[in-house]
Amino acid sequence: MSYKKEDLKIYWNKINYAFPILNDTIFTDCSNAEYEEIQQIIVGLGIQIKIRDLVFVHIEKYLRQHVAPSFWSKFVKTEEDVKGFQLFKSAVNDLYDSVSQFSGLLERLTILHNSCSDGKPIYGEKDVISGFKQLVRATLLAQLPLDFQVIINNFYKVSFNVFDYEYENNDMGEDVMCNGCLNECSDCNCMYIVKVFHDTNRKLMELQLLERLTGQVLTNFIQMRIESHIQKLCTGTFDVSHIEFLENWLNTNVMSWLTRIYCSGSSKPSPDDSNTLNAIAKFKQKLSYFLYHSYTKLRIDQLFNIIIEYPDSQPAVDDIKICLEKTDLRSTLCKSLQSALETRLLHPGVNTPDILTAYVTTIRALRHLDPSGVILETVTKPVRNYLRNRDDTVRSVVSSLTEEGAGSELAEELVKFAAEADGDSDKDEAWDEWNPDPVDADPTVDSSDRRANDIISMLVNVYGSKELFVNEYRTLLADRLLAQSAINTEKEIKYLELLKLRFGESQLHFCEVMLKDISDSKRINALIQQDKEIETLNRKFTSNAMILSAQFWPPFKDESLELPEEIKRHLEAYTKSFEALKGNRTLSWKPHLGNVNIEIEIGEKKLDLTVSPFNATLILHFQDKPEWTLDELHQVMKVPVTILRRKITYWQSMGLITEKSTDLFVLVDGSDGNKANVATNQVQEMICEDDETESVMASAHDQREGELQVFWSYIVGMLTNLDSLPLDRIHQMLKMFASQAPGTECSLQELRQFLDTKVRTHQLVYQGGMYKLPKT
Amino acid sequence: MAQNINPHYASSSNPAKQNEDTIKLKDNHAVSKRLQKELMELMRCADKGISAFPESENLFKWIGTINGPQDTVYAGHKYKLSLEFPNSYPYAPPMVKFITPCFHPNVDTCGLICLDILKDKWTALYDVRTVLLSIQSLLAEPNTHSPLNQQASYLWPNQPAYKKYVDEFYNKHRDS
Repeated sequence: MSYKKEDLKIYWNKINYAFPILNDTIFTDCSNAEYEEIQQIIVGLGIQIKIRDLVFVHIEKYLRQHVAPSFWSKFVKTEEDVKGFQLFKSAVNDLYDSVSQFSGLLERLTILHNSCSDGKPIYGEKDVISGFKQLVRATLLAQLPLDFQVIINNFYKVSFNVFDYEYENNDMGEDVMCNGCLNECSDCNCMYIVKVFHDTNRKLMELQLLERLTGQVLTNFIQMRIESHIQKLCTGTFDVSHIEFLENWLNTNVMSWLTRIYCSGSSKPSPDDSNTLNAIAKFKQKLSYFLYHSYTKLRIDQLFNIIIEYPDSQPAVDDIKICLEKTDLRSTLCKSLQSALETRLLHPGVNTPDILTAYVTTIRALRHLDPSGVILETVTKPVRNYLRNRDDTVRSVVSSLTEEGAGSELAEELVKFAAEADGDSDKDEAWDEWNPDPVDADPTVDSSDRRANDIISMLVNVYGSKELFVNEYRTLLADRLLAQSAINTEKEIKYLELLKLRFGESQLHFCEVMLKDISDSKRINALIQQDKEIETLNRKFTSNAMILSAQFWPPFKDESLELPEEIKRHLEAYTKSFEALKGNRTLSWKPHLGNVNIEIEIGEKKLDLTVSPFNATLILHFQDKPEWTLDELHQVMKVPVTILRRKITYWQSMGLITEKSTDLFVLVDGSDGNKANVATNQVQEMICEDDETESVMASAHDQREGELQVFWSYIVGMLTNLDSLPLDRIHQMLKMFASQAPGTECSLQELRQFLDTKVRTHQLVYQGGMYKLPKT
Repeated sequence: MAQNINPHYASSSNPAKQNEDTIKLKDNHAVSKRLQKELMELMRCADKGISAFPESENLFKWIGTINGPQDTVYAGHKYKLSLEFPNSYPYAPPMVKFITPCFHPNVDTCGLICLDILKDKWTALYDVRTVLLSIQSLLAEPNTHSPLNQQASYLWPNQPAYKKYVDEFYNKHRDS
């Protein structure tokens, strides 16, 4: 079959008429009826496949050259949200318009394609329409500019603002500004924005471009909104649980907005549109995880503060507990809390009691957060290590244990423990609630141990031994017993009983003896006072003694003080009387402890004071002789000059003694011109406590030093006879021969330190790995 | 002298003779304890001029040090001694001799000492400290009537010459 050239030309024109795209235009008047005819011509010529492919090539070219560039040209960077909103809207509108212009063309193409019957897929799709959409998408995305997200972002931000406003602030009608569109209320744009927004979304949806174009932006954007919303909601307040509220917010505000985007305006998706439903459900899952994740993260960042405020912040802890189950942030929590503790708590600027308080609340809060105790164990490890290095930890713990009144949580804890100890519940009953340990648990620790540890034992475990605590308590108790003139033994006995429950009878036996000493000495003192000899002595002044069993009291700080003869006589008589009473036992006086009530008369002035024996002795010497040099005082009192100088300031401040010239002290006589000086101190009947609050007991550190001092004589003995020895030899020898001495556990490390201090003070020479004594 | 007899040894001569080994073992323990105690005492008191300490892990061998007493020819000298305690200590005296060679009428060239309390006058009441103190005072007041070192005994009356000789002797031998 052959055709004339003119015929072909006519046919070609007709085909061009039906598919103007072949000439790079879209508009044509070609009606359906006309196309019927043209279609037959094409089929008659048998070129339907060729024409179809040709048309697609041209469509592709057209899209590439016209539609896509004009669409993307709208995507310019802009600062203003509203401008971005408009740009995106017009871009989508234009795109939609130009794509809809293809509809006639596509109809004809469909007919043409149907006649092809070669079953060839069009751009991977079965029919022409979806193939075309695919083509549009492909073309558009192929030319994606870098910052295309900016105006999409703008667009959604503006519209989300409106929605947010609709849901949250329905009752704030008085504002001049509309919070939705940030315009004045009179020309509020909200309605318009909502309309445009839905319109745009519908068009994008129709083009199936919604996910591709805006999915990323939308997700980012919503996540940002969630984060800022959480931030806005949750900073600073720990006493409210936010989880439910946030879930609600996600479900109402965010989800309805999403639904509207996906369902072009209607707030409920049509139930038969499973695609949309699926997409929304997936989106929701993603978002809800994200919500939990960012909420937990925020709370973890605040965890230190939350812990400090615990138990007021319990709702926040509850939230974290729920969140931890849904997210995978356990290790993050551990790490961040640990570093927070390290930076905010564990440095020299923080008082030990504060660290302890924080430690206790940490224990409580984390116990609540994670009953298995694993997080607690990991997180508080550095705290424990740090506390171990602080000298006053034990003292702080013990004093807060026995502190009375509010704020001493440890004391409460102690009482609580005593109460709990009775109700020993049967643990086997809860077997069906058993849970395995979390994966990060230390397998070497028994989980029941971890659970069972209460706060006090956790504190005690800082040191790993009860003994240290008991010793420190003993020192503290001794201090308290000696400091008070009227002792409330009942209270002390109560605490001792509580402590006994925890630490065991045997450990606290010494303390019991100490308390008994106090009550005993009251009785013995009363008996001795009836002694005739004492009675005669007592006419001048009375003395009462506290009789302590040296064996059971902690060692006292050694301070020498030579009492005046008169006092000494008195005390000797007392000792004699005691010896008569108790047989076989004697008293060894601690002249530097106790209190002296003195009455001082200067001129007409009379002072009633309660002072330390030291100060009393000092002023008594001035009674006999108004002028003393420091050296003379040193001779009579046998007290180092430096201490004398320190103590004498007490009387100087009272205006009774002045330093006439260097090291020469004079009693201020009421009769001479310095009277005014006394007058300024109107201290009639003043009971004045010395400003020395330091403990009279040797601290654990001092005791240790003393114990090492015992070794020193051994070391000297060793080195005098054996010339020079290496460290480990000395250590070994000490272990062998000095093992009877107290404090025998001296580590090699400790010994090295001790010897090094001796080397520094030139008491030892270290040469070639050997220690020896310096040549005299 | 009766007090010098170890009651265990005394009883061991009984017809009902006990196993000697167990006695020895028990004694050994008791002696260790006594020596341990003496050491502690010595360390605690720390007399000037005398000192002693176990040589090694063996508690039965000690090294002692004596400073020459002031105002004598031996002033400023330092003498090392070895003390060996028998298993029967303190019922038998320790074997004491000079390690640092000592020029003295009652000390021989091997360092052996002629001192009554280390021989027949020994009683269990003496201990390391008293032994060392006795030797220290022996340095100041030698018994020239029963000398072990004739030369020293001969030279002793002439103190300046003696002093000169002793200093030379000490400086020559102190390091050996």
